Amino acid sequence: MRKLLATLFLIPIIVLPQSTSFDFRLPKNIKKFADHLFCEGDYLRAVEEYQSIQNILQNDTINFKIMFSYSNLGLYQISNNSLQCIPGTSKFKCSADYLYLVNKFREDPKGLRVFHDMPLPPEIVERRQKLINISYFYDAEFNFDKNYILSPFNDEIDRQTVSLLYDLKTDPPYKSPALAGILSAVIPGSGKMYVGEWGDGITSLLLTGLFAFLAYDNFNADHTTRAWIFTGIGAFFYAGNIYGSIASAQIFNAKIDFDFSNGLKLFLEQRNYFLPDYDFCN
Amino acid sequence: MISVTKILFTFIFISLLAITLYAQDSFEEQFNYAKKLYEEENYFDAVTEFKRLLFFDGSNKYSFECNYLMGLSYKYGRKFSDALLHFSIADVQAHTTEEDFACRIEIIKINILRRTTYKALALLDSLAIDPKFKNKSDEINYWRGWAYIFSDDWQKAALTFSEIKSSHQLAVLCDSINNDLYNPQLAKYLSIVPGAGQFYTGEYVSGLISIGWNVLWGYLTINAFIEDRILDGVLIGSLLWWRFYSGNIQNAEKFAIEKNLELTNSALHYLQDKYNGRKP
Repeated sequence: MRKLLATLFLIPIIVLPQSTSFDFRLPKNIKKFADHLFCEGDYLRAVEEYQSIQNILQNDTINFKIMFSYSNLGLYQISNNSLQCIPGTSKFKCSADYLYLVNKFREDPKGLRVFHDMPLPPEIVERRQKLINISYFYDAEFNFDKNYILSPFNDEIDRQTVSLLYDLKTDPPYKSPALAGILSAVIPGSGKMYVGEWGDGITSLLLTGLFAFLAYDNFNADHTTRAWIFTGIGAFFYAGNIYGSIASAQIFNAKIDFDFSNGLKLFLEQRNYFLPDYDFCN
Repeated sequence: MISVTKILFTFIFISLLAITLYAQDSFEEQFNYAKKLYEEENYFDAVTEFKRLLFFDGSNKYSFECNYLMGLSYKYGRKFSDALLHFSIADVQAHTTEEDFACRIEIIKINILRRTTYKALALLDSLAIDPKFKNKSDEINYWRGWAYIFSDDWQKAALTFSEIKSSHQLAVLCDSINNDLYNPQLAKYLSIVPGAGQFYTGEYVSGLISIGWNVLWGYLTINAFIEDRILDGVLIGSLLWWRFYSGNIQNAEKFAIEKNLELTNSALHYLQDKYNGRKP
């Protein structure tokens, strides 16, 4: 009976230490924690943890996750340096190769094109082609056929977006700074109105007209000094209105370029640079 | 004579007890290690170690402490959103009223620092009406005063600090700042006499220029009417004199606002660098 009681007393004591005694630094525990950080999106800490066990566990998944984490941290060069840790036989080789290309693209979109003939499996080739075609949008000179640009995009929404970007790139709704200047020279303020700044245009027209009238009226009344003052101020407003119209057209065009770049970036980020969906966190 | 079985059982019992105690220590050790990193101001590593402990500690024994210290670590690293998240978790895990209060005050302090002072004030109001914290009114008023400082309401800040103690250092400071501030409305109304608003804010050159422009355009307008050039008079008066006159009023108000900004910025710098009391 005593033995039975003692055994019953000892069982929880035996079980308890096993459940609470813990070595945080065991490689398998570090890996579990690193996976948790990775799935939480805390890539910087995840990388640190993975790297501390990288040489002990020799695991391709860990190597790829390190590469992926660095890429998400925006450290593309370091991410690409990790490619050498993934052997050709690894199941992550294709994914790593594509991530390498994405990193190259994110560093410099045009720099990706030198890898156009890098041997890759067909599904990755298609993704690479999408990136290469998108990279042409970053060129100043753009004269590609629309069908060629759209050819790697099979998804209907992607095709519509890329088609819209193509139209914006080939025929941007720019306003001519020269035309804005000429219009303002002929009718003060009309250059601003052409750019769409109606309020400024009307103000320019009124102010220049007012000073011209004051100058004319004072010349007529033989108030020469005052007339010249108004002529000077009027000329200043007139010249300012021409300069302002040219500047407005340039600002308008810069905004078109900015919106285009933003749209392109947003599209790529939404599509995650055509990276496959990895099932690491489920 | 003691039997071998008894000795064996005693030995096993003591060994297992030691293992149990050691096992409890491993989590405690991890907590102490993380806390040491925090105390050494190595906030990045401290957060990593707290996260590690929280991930493996299924009992949630250290949940409050870890989340609270992680909140502070993130706060010192200026990662206010992460800090708020961890203070909120710590608040849920708080064991005592004191811990609950500490978490809520930290959340309020983050809101003060992020200049979401309306939220800080709303949270302070909820603390003030909570019977659990009825003996904390001085503490609540102290942080309410800081919230008013960060929302640029020095008068209310002075009043709130004086509720703690009429000669409270911050009450005196806020009152003095409040007295030094210019009244933008007064600057504006003084400018009905061109240049007077600028003189009030100490911008004498600007005041003289304003007087000059208004005298010039005023003279030309009046002269045009005297010489029966009615259209000239109307146009110069309405488009030039009025423009410079209203500009003079706007200008005086702008100067008052700018001077106030300089004063409040220097007061905030003083509080940041020289004030030794508790700060958000």
